[in-house]
Amino acid sequence: MSPVCFAPDSGGGGGASTPAPWGETKVVGARLPRVDAYERVSGSAVYTLDLQLPGMLHAAIVRCPHAHARVKRIDTAKAETMPGVRGVLTGESPGAAIPWYQGREGPLSLLFDPHCRHEGEEVAAVAADTALQAHDAARAVVVEYEELPFVVDPDKALAPDAPKVHDWGNLLGQPRVTTRGDVAAGFAAADAVVEMTFRTPVQMHTPMEVHVSVAQWDGDRLTVWDSTQGVYAIREALAGALKLPLASVRVVGHYMGGGFGSKLELGKYTVIAALLARRLGRPVKAALTREETFLVAGNRPSNVITLKAGAKRDGALTALEARLSGPVGAYPTSAVSAYQIGDLYTCPNVKFETTNILIHAGKARPFRAPGFPSCNWALEQVVDTLAEKLGLDPVELRLKNIPTVSQLNDNAPYTSTGLARCLTEGAVAFGWTEARRRPKTAGHLRRGVGVAAGMWGYGGDPNATAIVTLYADGSVNLNTGASDLGTGTKTVLAMVVAEELGVAPDRIQVEHADTATTKFAPSSGGSQTVLVNSPAVRAAAIEVKRQVLEIAARQLDKPVGDLAVADGAVVVAGAGGKRVPFSELKGLGERRMLVGVGMRHPHPEGKLALPFAAQFAEVEVDTRSGAVRVLRVLAAQDSGRVMNRLTFNNQVFGGVVQGLGFALTEERVLDRATGKMVNANWHDYKVPTMLDSPAEAECLPIDPHDTECNTVGAKGLGEPAHIPAATAIANAIHDAVGVRPLEAPVTPARLVALLAAQERKG
Amino acid sequence: MLPSFAYVRPTTLKAAVAALAAPGTRAHAGGTDLLGCLRDRVFPADTLVSLAGLPELVGVTPTAEGGLRLGAMTTVATVAGHPDIAARYRALAEAAAAVASPQLRNQGTLGGNLCQRPRCWYFRGDFHCARKGGGKCFAVDGENRYHCVFGGETCFIVHPSDTAPALVALDALVRLAGAGGSRVVPLEKFFVPPSADFTRETVLEPGEVLTEVVVPAPPAGARSTYRKVRARGAWDFALAGAAVSLGIEGGRVKHARVVLSGAAPIPWRVPAAEQALIGHRLDGATIARAADAAVAGAEPLADNAYKVPLLRCAVEEALTALNS
Ligand SMILES: Cc1cc2nc3c(=O)[nH]c(=O)nc-3n(C[C@H](O)[C@H](O)[C@H](O)COP(=O)(O)OP(=O)(O)OC[C@H]3O[C@@H](n4cnc5c(N)ncnc54)[C@H](O)[C@@H]3O)c2cc1C
Repeated sequence: MSPVCFAPDSGGGGGASTPAPWGETKVVGARLPRVDAYERVSGSAVYTLDLQLPGMLHAAIVRCPHAHARVKRIDTAKAETMPGVRGVLTGESPGAAIPWYQGREGPLSLLFDPHCRHEGEEVAAVAADTALQAHDAARAVVVEYEELPFVVDPDKALAPDAPKVHDWGNLLGQPRVTTRGDVAAGFAAADAVVEMTFRTPVQMHTPMEVHVSVAQWDGDRLTVWDSTQGVYAIREALAGALKLPLASVRVVGHYMGGGFGSKLELGKYTVIAALLARRLGRPVKAALTREETFLVAGNRPSNVITLKAGAKRDGALTALEARLSGPVGAYPTSAVSAYQIGDLYTCPNVKFETTNILIHAGKARPFRAPGFPSCNWALEQVVDTLAEKLGLDPVELRLKNIPTVSQLNDNAPYTSTGLARCLTEGAVAFGWTEARRRPKTAGHLRRGVGVAAGMWGYGGDPNATAIVTLYADGSVNLNTGASDLGTGTKTVLAMVVAEELGVAPDRIQVEHADTATTKFAPSSGGSQTVLVNSPAVRAAAIEVKRQVLEIAARQLDKPVGDLAVADGAVVVAGAGGKRVPFSELKGLGERRMLVGVGMRHPHPEGKLALPFAAQFAEVEVDTRSGAVRVLRVLAAQDSGRVMNRLTFNNQVFGGVVQGLGFALTEERVLDRATGKMVNANWHDYKVPTMLDSPAEAECLPIDPHDTECNTVGAKGLGEPAHIPAATAIANAIHDAVGVRPLEAPVTPARLVALLAAQERKG
Repeated sequence: MLPSFAYVRPTTLKAAVAALAAPGTRAHAGGTDLLGCLRDRVFPADTLVSLAGLPELVGVTPTAEGGLRLGAMTTVATVAGHPDIAARYRALAEAAAAVASPQLRNQGTLGGNLCQRPRCWYFRGDFHCARKGGGKCFAVDGENRYHCVFGGETCFIVHPSDTAPALVALDALVRLAGAGGSRVVPLEKFFVPPSADFTRETVLEPGEVLTEVVVPAPPAGARSTYRKVRARGAWDFALAGAAVSLGIEGGRVKHARVVLSGAAPIPWRVPAAEQALIGHRLDGATIARAADAAVAGAEPLADNAYKVPLLRCAVEEALTALNS
């Protein structure tokens, strides 16, 4: 047997042997239903929330009901004697004094911190035979609190007398100023200047599956099933919290019901499940209730953004100056992003200041393009207003300012940018010019159209490893660490194997997201999953193909160059060429399997690969009721290659509807008198329904045939599909009724008030 | 999480009423509202008395007087889809169709829809508010964008039901069965405003069951409609709404009922708007006058002034729809 067949590094990705870009593809790009569609639709898919292990207990968590309080005393006596209760955990329990949330000078809090800095902070936990018993017992834990003054309004948190979240006050770090060029000179040179202040809401992630973990110990080894976006990230954090070697912790994340960024970090419930499971010697499931997810599982922070912009008569931007601030919640993270102000358009003079504020509310977590939709809400409305002032078509003005380099990254060129094409081809497909020319009706139902462009600023982690195994019967195992949040990752990666190896997708079994059985993949977030993992999978498949062809060459006594793979067989070149099914390859039969390991190659040097988008919306506004109906949306997306047209459309439509929620209905409400959230449920927190979704939604992929970004030509999609969606609606509302919706969401209440103010002004 | 409780399903009304006379019991119809209240600890219950074993409480049948009798256990979906209701009591059919979502309409009953508890987020949430026996209404100085602009006194809820304003506009009666027999109450008098008692929403006494709703024969030249404004397309209570029922003879309005939803702690009948209609032709000027009258005297809180134009718009659109 030739040893070369077992040299995984020879074809494994790395710079030297980077494969040539795909030309025409056979499988990739097709409208292929998901490989796990049947399981998901029939209910046989086992999500973490569904998991039942023999002897499994259920945890419930006692949470602080106040916005700010100190725990004086915890009495668990009654809870401990309640039916089914197996154990109670508090900060005093052995091993429970685990530091939580890092500050600059060390941890800021504990797993169970007696100083509770927001509603819902963890105080104690109970494990019982059933979830109902656990929750009953958790309610029976008596906690005596000293209520403390709080601040939940970010507008008031920086006042000198505001109650402090941490000793140092409520400013997280110092406001950061970024400057390029000379904004004063830029404004002086402008023919039109616009300045406006915008407000965006706190939006909640609301994934279908709640946050949940199941923990099980085997001696000193811990296995955790987690509804997570990244098993490797969770393993690292979990091993750190429990002071275990990485090798002793296994995290599994199979079927997963969405995350939107809220399932990237380790939750306290996971550690609580692990601690209870260790103590009680039984597996423990900790599932948050829907209400709990609203309090402790993250949010998109509200933003206040003041943006001033100047442009020449021809639309060329001369200066952008912005102040952005937002509340991170009670612990450090980032609340704002000015990235698009710095990079979406060519602009020589830019200055922005970002401020992160602490308040007594749940910590923010990344949420579908952290900071980008909020920033877009300001930037793209200001750009629209400039166009109006200058008498330019909004598309035309944007086209005047398309960059080919990243100004925020030393003018590094993009491997490709389809921004201009998104705008021009999107406008044609939408019927933009015709729609804008239509005369406005005079009645109470007014139509308008709007456009917004956007970009995403993260190109992905370059590290990922995939393994492809071809078995003697020609079936394939694809092994990847990537999590499939419901976006179709498994399907897309299987298609990459099918493309390279010439096997039907239904012959490919995907094994994924398990730190014990798969290799590293970064978390599925930041729109990186496809573009990071597909190249690794492709490299692995190519390596298997190389081995197949070598075996076949020997068997057929032909040069490798005359052979190819197709339809599960090796095919000899030339008319009527011989065809040998994989299952008839003797070398494969002897070896039982061929294994290819593929590694992600590095990013292109000195260049950036980023996705762009332009979305168009038509709305109908009822000026009497303030109701906005989104009639149609066209999303032109430069995300590089379309890997699967169905999952591509799913991402885009999901992003658009989530943007519609941001624009029109979704908003966390904290009670000003108590600091408690009043709409922590799916009825009062208004996620758009099917009836609110645009009746017509069209997705227009713009593929710039990027041969440099990576070996599959795909860029990110999940986030750029969402970023401009809300603003396109805002601009359409303005076009319809002439008022600027500075504050999102544009509820009937807000719109009716704006229209009344407009009428007063006459 | 749902607390534990006992569950009984009597097969006679007498037995149901007897069971409900015991303290700690609650009637269970479709459970769509009740179970949520129990889960959210809005109020406790030891025993749920199911009304599902009483087939006589289900169905829509004509009355001898030319009206319709709707059993309390008739589902909201049935009410929404019933041809007689659509033909003669359109406001009710439209209101029922505007309730919640298809699942909730299939499971929820008409009786339950009239007896459902308020949706105020303080009442439903972890706040010991006046209606739950606490000291104050949190909404007065709190987050009150969804609260009432009429009739708020010590408690500022809005009545959650869509079918209730329609049925009040249609002059419906309800029959309440208790240990001592049954009584019939005009639906308008069934609801209790906070000024009378802010701890209850209806006149139902402990142990009483709402068995049926009777809508009388429509007046001559009858037409009715319900207009609802909400924050999203489904699964959402009214921000503002109006049920209007008119009798028009010889081109003039002879009979008028205008009832607002999303406006007050009870379905809010506005006699001033009715007076503005009666005796007049239903033209633009009359409609505008009635719409103005419907919202005259509204007392918005800090965050809900937007409801006033919305309510006005609902009345105007409902009347305009009846004009065509
Ligand atoms: C998310 C959501 C959205 C909703 N949106 C709307 C909406 O837009 N518009 C709207 O009108 N409603 C809405 N509802 C309310 C829904 O219509 C009611 O929950 C339903 O009609 C109640 O009927 P049920 O049979 O399930 O009542 P149950 O839940 O069984 O009972 C409700 C209450 O009434 C009492 N009760 C029930 N029947 C009787 C009876 N015959 N005699 C005495 N007491 C009785 C029960 O004891 C209980 O207190 C919504 C509900 C939910 C959960």
